[in-house]
Amino acid sequence: MIRKTILIFVIILVAFSLTAGGAKEPAKTEKTIRVAENVPGLITPGVWDGQAITLNASIYEYLVEVDAVDNSLRPILATDWSTDDGAVWTFHLREGVKFHDGTPFDAWDVKYTIERTQDPAVGHLKRADFAVVKAIDVVDDHTVVITLKEKRPTFVMQMTDYNMAILSRHYDYENLGERSPMGTGPFILSQMVPKENALLVRNREYWDPALPKVDRLEIYFVTDLDAKVAMLEGNQVDVVPFVSPVTRLRLDAHPNINVIAAYQEHRFIAMAVDQKPFDDNRVRLAFKYTMDPDILARSVAQTTVGEGFYYNESPIMNTLVEYHEMGRRGRDIAKARSLLEEAGYPNGVSVDLYYANDHPYSKELSQTVAELAAPAGFAINLKGFPRDIYLTQYWLKVGFSITGWGGRIDPAILLGLAFRSDGPWNEPHLADPVIDSLIDRIASEADEVVRSRYYQQLQQYFYDEGAIINIQVPKLVALRTNVTGYQHPLTMIVQYKYADID
Amino acid sequence: MKRLWSFIALELLRLLATIVVMSAIIFLLVELMPGDVAQIILGQSATEEAVAALRVSRGLDKPALERYLSWVGGMLRGDLGQSIYMKGVSVNSLLWRRVAHSLALALTAFLLFVPLSILFGVVAAVKEKRVADSIISFFGLATMALPEFVSGVFLIVIFAVTLKWLPLVSIIPIGQTLWTNLRILILPALSITFVMFGYVSRMQRSSMIGVLHSLYIRSAKLKGLPRMYIITRHALRNALLPTITVIGMNMGWLFGGLVVVESLFGFPGMGSLLLTAVKTRDIPLIEACVLLITVIYTLSTRLTNILYAVLNPRIRYQGGQE
Repeated sequence: MIRKTILIFVIILVAFSLTAGGAKEPAKTEKTIRVAENVPGLITPGVWDGQAITLNASIYEYLVEVDAVDNSLRPILATDWSTDDGAVWTFHLREGVKFHDGTPFDAWDVKYTIERTQDPAVGHLKRADFAVVKAIDVVDDHTVVITLKEKRPTFVMQMTDYNMAILSRHYDYENLGERSPMGTGPFILSQMVPKENALLVRNREYWDPALPKVDRLEIYFVTDLDAKVAMLEGNQVDVVPFVSPVTRLRLDAHPNINVIAAYQEHRFIAMAVDQKPFDDNRVRLAFKYTMDPDILARSVAQTTVGEGFYYNESPIMNTLVEYHEMGRRGRDIAKARSLLEEAGYPNGVSVDLYYANDHPYSKELSQTVAELAAPAGFAINLKGFPRDIYLTQYWLKVGFSITGWGGRIDPAILLGLAFRSDGPWNEPHLADPVIDSLIDRIASEADEVVRSRYYQQLQQYFYDEGAIINIQVPKLVALRTNVTGYQHPLTMIVQYKYADID
Repeated sequence: MKRLWSFIALELLRLLATIVVMSAIIFLLVELMPGDVAQIILGQSATEEAVAALRVSRGLDKPALERYLSWVGGMLRGDLGQSIYMKGVSVNSLLWRRVAHSLALALTAFLLFVPLSILFGVVAAVKEKRVADSIISFFGLATMALPEFVSGVFLIVIFAVTLKWLPLVSIIPIGQTLWTNLRILILPALSITFVMFGYVSRMQRSSMIGVLHSLYIRSAKLKGLPRMYIITRHALRNALLPTITVIGMNMGWLFGGLVVVESLFGFPGMGSLLLTAVKTRDIPLIEACVLLITVIYTLSTRLTNILYAVLNPRIRYQGGQE
């Protein structure tokens, strides 16, 4: 019996060792970047949920792209664009571009892509933003004129949204978009094992012959963050987009791995102005006086203010040109107490704070906020729920909440959605004619200097009476040190065509 | 023999009834999951129009009973539906590939822990109350007490991080198959072996001790039969019954419940597929995975009963209502 057992083990070991390294590998001269990212949700542009960024951002392309360093716009499928008053936009399109199925790209595809936003059967997530489009006229194969119902001097920024990838009018995206995504991008989908992995290969007919710099992108879809990080440490992948600050501390000690803050995301602490106790501006101010950005940065993101972490009291991101520095309020517990007393809460106030406890940073943020506000008399009861429950049952209804928001390259888009009285995602329940009027003027003002002044006025108003705290947390990307040229702007559309590997 | 067949028929009927009831329960539980699935899938930026369009496109707008009947009807035809996400990708094409991987992992673990546990269980029984017995019992208890994610981490640290013999994460490189990467099975299989070794070897030890103390073994010894012959032919055969029960009862877990082990090692099996499905609320996939696991559990339990009846006639007499 002992002999039989040993024999079985020997057979197993020999069989397993024989299989090691016996598989086909790409030719040594080919450059490959391997990425571990989340399992994709919906990926068809229009209903893309923003997961699987490596996959989609490498297959599809946009009229323009955002420079990851200075947030400026770069021509991609549009070579240039112009507008006189913000209402009529002319886009000149790149010639000689082909979709991956060989069909040529032209102005009719741009028209199709924008018209598709209004198709009820698609359920396009950008429908509201593009309802402003009145007409799309194809002047010739490579010129398209878009006429808007009202002036939108920053309309071109809408074309950087990740759901606005340019699609081929000949392709059946409704039936093939999820399993065979196809665009004009620098990489072509070669094979995909659903929920497991995808192989992208260089688009040899890409309009810029110098790009992409690598031949293959191997994407592994992995649910668990620890497994992804282990793959990175074990040199099974080269990039893991989006790791946690705690993981960063662990990876910082690794000689061959860098962690970078690619861009920031909002965490809005929203105080509903139509519900007690935050209906009184003195209570909102009292709460703001309890906050300490340095402690928040350290406790929430293990970093310091300015190092990937920012704090302000307006809807605008600190890293955008539209942002105006208001100065620090400073933590003042005595002032917070007296403001609360003035507002009729001499014994402090108890309030429920709702948030998604499985969303990055939210748990740490809610706990730190509660601790910081406690000395002034805020008894904050933490109400954390899984994100889907939070979004479907509590978000937009409750009086005090923390919600994650992706950054927008044009803050005017965010202002209309979340801070105008009729905005669909108005968390603080604002209905303030001053704010509405400023948002409208920002949206329609063509003169950049004047627009910048409106932004300043809006931020001052939020600082004095606003109902939000805007905490900006870093989106951390872990890369092996041999990966160079990794560019990942605020739009989330990662640009692997510039990335190289030694 | 007739009684055995009627016992088997009864067991199969029970199996069928369990599956029918379970299919209704699984469907109901998935229905009761909180939140609107279409809203969850589209995320924070979902608009009402987008949610409505997705509901229509994935058939979520139909009444629950209609969806249940069409699901059951589909299953009877072998069609498990389509993933909510990958429109046009059938659950069949997702599931069976992962099932094959999980079967390979379960088989590897089975080949490791069954002979090992039985061998060491027998050794411990034969060397009862001696040093070998203490060492085996201690090791068995220790591995049993360690959850698989703890023993898994130990194994990773030793074999993948320190010795660098095996890959850290058990993924199949793109363009390759599991069959050309069998080494990725070793660490997860060892981790399962750790958990199972304690249970099975202790069960084997105690039943073996019981048998070794019985009178017929004593007479075999007095007859002058060789020691190994007594242990393997006379004692082990009878002492295997309780061990088979323990192994049988765990087969369901082994073939379908390895969610923790598969997730820890990133192994592309059915457990990790189920976890992904639950996390992303991919309803047809959750239903298919859970139903399959239910079938495996029920089948393994019923098969154990049948095997037991074959080995021990007293069971089939009772089971056959004689």
